Amino acid sequence: MPRPRSLQGRLLALVLGVVAAVWGVTAALTWLDVRHELDELLDSHLAQAAALLVVQQAGEIEDDQPAVDAPSLHRYAPKVAFQVFHDGRLAMRSSNAPAQPMLAFSGRATTGFRTVELAGQTWRVFAAHGRERDTQVFVGEQVDSRNDILWAVLRSGLTPMLFALPLLAVAAWWAVRQGVAPLRALGRTLAQRQPQALEPIAVQGAPAEMAPMLDALNGLFGRIGALMASERRFTADAAHELRTPIAAIRAQAQVALASVDDAERTHALRATLQGCDRATRLVEQLLTLSRLESGSAPALGPLDAVAVVRQVVAEAAGLALGKRQALALDAPASLSVHAEGVLLSVLARNLVDNAVRYSHEGASVSVRLRQTAGGAALTVEDSGPGMSAADIEHLGERFFRVVGSGQSGSGLGWSITRRIASVLGAQVSVSRSASLGGLAVTVQLGSAVHS
Amino acid sequence: MRVLLAEDDPLLGDGLRAGLRQLGFLVDWVRDGLAAEAELRAHPYAAAVLDLGLPLKDGMDVLAAIRRAGITLPVLVLTARDALPDRIRGLDVGADDYVVKPVDLNELAARLRALVRRAHGQAQDCLTARDVVLDPAARAVLQAGVPVALSAREFDLLHTLLLNAGRVLSREQLEQHLYSWGQEVESNAVEVHVHHLRRKLGSALIQTVRGVGYVVTREPAGP
Repeated sequence: MPRPRSLQGRLLALVLGVVAAVWGVTAALTWLDVRHELDELLDSHLAQAAALLVVQQAGEIEDDQPAVDAPSLHRYAPKVAFQVFHDGRLAMRSSNAPAQPMLAFSGRATTGFRTVELAGQTWRVFAAHGRERDTQVFVGEQVDSRNDILWAVLRSGLTPMLFALPLLAVAAWWAVRQGVAPLRALGRTLAQRQPQALEPIAVQGAPAEMAPMLDALNGLFGRIGALMASERRFTADAAHELRTPIAAIRAQAQVALASVDDAERTHALRATLQGCDRATRLVEQLLTLSRLESGSAPALGPLDAVAVVRQVVAEAAGLALGKRQALALDAPASLSVHAEGVLLSVLARNLVDNAVRYSHEGASVSVRLRQTAGGAALTVEDSGPGMSAADIEHLGERFFRVVGSGQSGSGLGWSITRRIASVLGAQVSVSRSASLGGLAVTVQLGSAVHS
Repeated sequence: MRVLLAEDDPLLGDGLRAGLRQLGFLVDWVRDGLAAEAELRAHPYAAAVLDLGLPLKDGMDVLAAIRRAGITLPVLVLTARDALPDRIRGLDVGADDYVVKPVDLNELAARLRALVRRAHGQAQDCLTARDVVLDPAARAVLQAGVPVALSAREFDLLHTLLLNAGRVLSREQLEQHLYSWGQEVESNAVEVHVHHLRRKLGSALIQTVRGVGYVVTREPAGP
């Protein structure tokens, strides 16, 4: 996994990048603007100077006078130059001006701006002439000097910015750091949190942008808490439920150990074994329920319900025969349903076992499979004691048992039945058996064709 | 000692009844809360062992009901619920002892004997009257340091009289202490047992209050 990029780093880079870009664009625009204005200003000065020279030349130049070198009066003087030609002859020039005309002109007077290379330097030259066209004036200025000014202007503007940039970076770093502080606080809180701690997280000064995340996180904590509470309750219930058979085993074993009467000892030992069977059954049921509740949804598919139920009835037959009960299966040759084999088998076994277990000796237990409009219906009926309407309502609550059944059980069978039914998408209904008088439980299974 | 056992689990109830019987208790076993309350109201049990998860009426409700009715017998709560709030609530509602399943039968018996003893204001386990010492745990009786062989009924009768030393108990009261359900009460049974006890321990210990019943006094009556 690549190392995640720091939000703080990204924000900082973004802010500084945007600031630098804005400054860059500002500097470029300033450069263009200043150069334009500077060119206009200096060009106008060149033109002005040329005009002055032209006007001055009008009556002053003697034709036979040699070319005059004007004195250099200012430290910027070498950067500017002028030439005055009179009748094609150099009449006057600045000391740094060449003897050749700065702009080639062949006797014809010329006027206007040119940019030319002279002795390795770039010059901006303005040419002007007198009205009679006998005086030609060139006024030149080194472009370098213009650039120097331009640079000076930009420097004065940009230098503070360059100094400000690191300061700005620090300030931005600090601001971003402050901004993401609630995130860091959240991270610390989460890192230091005990796995059991599931109370909602509150971050001091959390910004509105964090609210959805905090809400989602707290919602998740809430759901995990509910899940853990249900798991804890289940474990506690299960442990408590196991205590009773263990207590029974212990008491019966102690009775057997202390007994001096053979019949009493035999009875107590038998009861000890029954207690072990019961504890085993309880553990199996708890494991089944636990797997059902924690496992992922099993893959449902078409299968023959008759084969599954027939197997279950065959397994229960031993117990039923022992109680001299009439156990019968009434089903077509085959019936395809949308289910999962193991779960359907556990479901059917729970129903059949309950009917056999809770019905008296010699009772009838009928198992029926029928094709219905929506799929198939599995009905288990018995002629046992049945249940009151109030008891039927409590069915499926963990560890609920009917009073006076005389059977030791945990009531977990029903929880498992309900759970499997919900996994299989089946409907369970409980009622009084019309034909046998006891309990009738119907499970409506989905059809293989429909799905 | 006649105790009521209220336990809905068939295997555990059967085991506890058999075990307590082996240890010399007379045990009546009920399997739901309503029956437990009815029996406790109807008979003078020495103590009750009460499961909390009883059908029809929760053990805690039974306990609260009989306490409200002024029945003060010692109640030992035997339960799978071991969380501290459950224990506290049980004791607050009026349980005298709180035992979590599974329990050793000998411990259960010892706790019951202790509860009964304390309910009668006894600090010592052994009950004494004149030169007779009765040890409920060992189910032994000594007179002047010499063991005296008593039948189970004679022991229970003497135990009951000693626990209630100074109080006159009627024949009917003694019968209720001596017989659990389903046991045939022979006519004159109490008289016969008293007669046997007097023969074995001397006639001065158990006195007859004509027309009322029998009484044991700890010290010889003053001159």
